[in-house]
Amino acid sequence: MIKAEDVSLVYPDGTVGLKDVELHIEKGEFVYIIGPSGSGKTSFLKLLMGIEYPSSGSMQVLGQAIHKDEEKGIRNIRQQMGPVFQDFKLIRGRTALENVVLGMRFLNLPKAEIYFRAEEALQRVGLKHKKSSYVETLSWGQGQRVAIARAIARKPTMIIADEPTGNLDFDNAVNMLDLLTSLKEKDTTVIITTHATHLIDELDEGRILYVDNGNIDNLSREGAAL
Amino acid sequence: MRNPFKNTAYYIKEAKTIFKVDLSSNILSILSIGLIFFILTLILTGWLISNNIVEIIEKETEISIYYNEGLEKDSLDNLLTKIGNIQGIRDAKIVSEDESYDRMVDILGMEAKILNHFENNPFSSFIEVKIEMESLDHILNELEYFQDIDYIRDNRQVIDRLQGIISIIEVLGLILFLAIGICTMIIISHIIRQGIYNNRDEIYTLKLLGAPDGFIQLPFFMEGLFLTIIGGGIAGVLWFILIKLGYGNIYNLLPFMPLPHGDEFVWPVITFLTIFSTFVGIIGSRFGLKSIK
Ligand SMILES: Nc1ncnc2c1ncn2[C@@H]1O[C@H](COP(=O)(O)OP(=O)(O)OP(=O)(O)O)[C@@H](O)[C@H]1O
Ligand SMILES: [Mg+2]
Repeated sequence: MIKAEDVSLVYPDGTVGLKDVELHIEKGEFVYIIGPSGSGKTSFLKLLMGIEYPSSGSMQVLGQAIHKDEEKGIRNIRQQMGPVFQDFKLIRGRTALENVVLGMRFLNLPKAEIYFRAEEALQRVGLKHKKSSYVETLSWGQGQRVAIARAIARKPTMIIADEPTGNLDFDNAVNMLDLLTSLKEKDTTVIITTHATHLIDELDEGRILYVDNGNIDNLSREGAAL
Repeated sequence: MRNPFKNTAYYIKEAKTIFKVDLSSNILSILSIGLIFFILTLILTGWLISNNIVEIIEKETEISIYYNEGLEKDSLDNLLTKIGNIQGIRDAKIVSEDESYDRMVDILGMEAKILNHFENNPFSSFIEVKIEMESLDHILNELEYFQDIDYIRDNRQVIDRLQGIISIIEVLGLILFLAIGICTMIIISHIIRQGIYNNRDEIYTLKLLGAPDGFIQLPFFMEGLFLTIIGGGIAGVLWFILIKLGYGNIYNLLPFMPLPHGDEFVWPVITFLTIFSTFVGIIGSRFGLKSIK
């Protein structure tokens, strides 16, 4: 599913985003990527989505090499992903429903199916009553849930959420993680980043990867309590 | 996408949304495109009018051939046929002494009385030859070998000057037309780039979601087309009003100019606007999209 071999990411200005990452993530895994700000969590997600390419080493996602000559293949794997961006990246001037629908327009689905899935997804994140509201009128938390609805409606092979608990207080952060956990289908891989290390105790399932200074390591739950 | 038309309704709706999101700047764009097109149609009209005038003048270019007065009827007919056969001659006919006299009466009008002072008709008959203006030299050359010709009045100076003016008008018109046409194209691709720039976040988002380039670009393409076609429509309406209200006045003011009737331009100009605005819309949009990558 995801295979990183000796992957490093150096930004054009010389900043090292990731160093010698060795990592396998299997289909259906639930993975938390935890680490301090600036440690390289988003950098890893950028590699996953083909927004950045490895400076050295090799990376495969859903069988597709992440490489600058693989534009078409990368587009293809993006279509199989359900990303929830840190800033949501909703499309202004459209309603919540239209945003969710827009995420599926180009996926070769029948129109009826697209609308059915969109309504269903909004229902699951508890926003059905807001489907006709323009996204710029929604509260922060509602916007986040629209972004999640857009991701899950695509029935992705992989859900990727960058810092979904970022702006939330403790209780709401836990609720958000519960929501994401509940949305996971059996075969869906879920990857969630957070710098809220204190949340780890609340997580009772999933694998935890710890990122520090560009290095990614598996973390035992005891270690996280430090 | 397997079926390229599947999302057509979506593209149109999306183009409308893009339009609405930047409403004021889009309205300004339409207005400026409309005005540019309007200027372009004015140039086109001016060009059409001058071409028309030139055509009329060219048709009326004539030279007068005065022949040996003692010529027999047969020889005269023979001469006339030979002249008529020269390349570049449209028509050659004999203008009799009486007719020359009558013409002079027409030209002099009130002053025609002075002609009464002559005992005999002071005018001689001649052959009036309508020619294609550009063949003048060639025709004169040919005529040199004809006997029985006394004298040719070729209006050379007038014709030379006219030809100079005509070629200036043609070149100027073409240059202006090209300049404004290219200018329109550039402005439209800028407007489309602007639209893309205003929507760059959305475009980036769609890319991250794996949308194909065509899917992302088509609404912008349609919006560009839409802007230029509406702009073309505005120019058409403005121009139509102008022709209806203004041209009639000019037409009446300059009775001595061989101005064509305004209605003659309506279809050429409307056809031109439709084709040109669609063409510019397509090319401009393509440029706009290409340059953004
Ligand atoms: N485009 C870029 N050019 C140069 N440096 C970058 C770029 N993007 C990220 N970096 C740097 O790479 C390092 C890792 O950044 P990254 O965004 O992956 O951190 P993060 O773990 O996601 O942090 P946070 O928790 O604050 O979101 C940082 O030092 C950052 O400044
Ligand atoms: Mg980050």
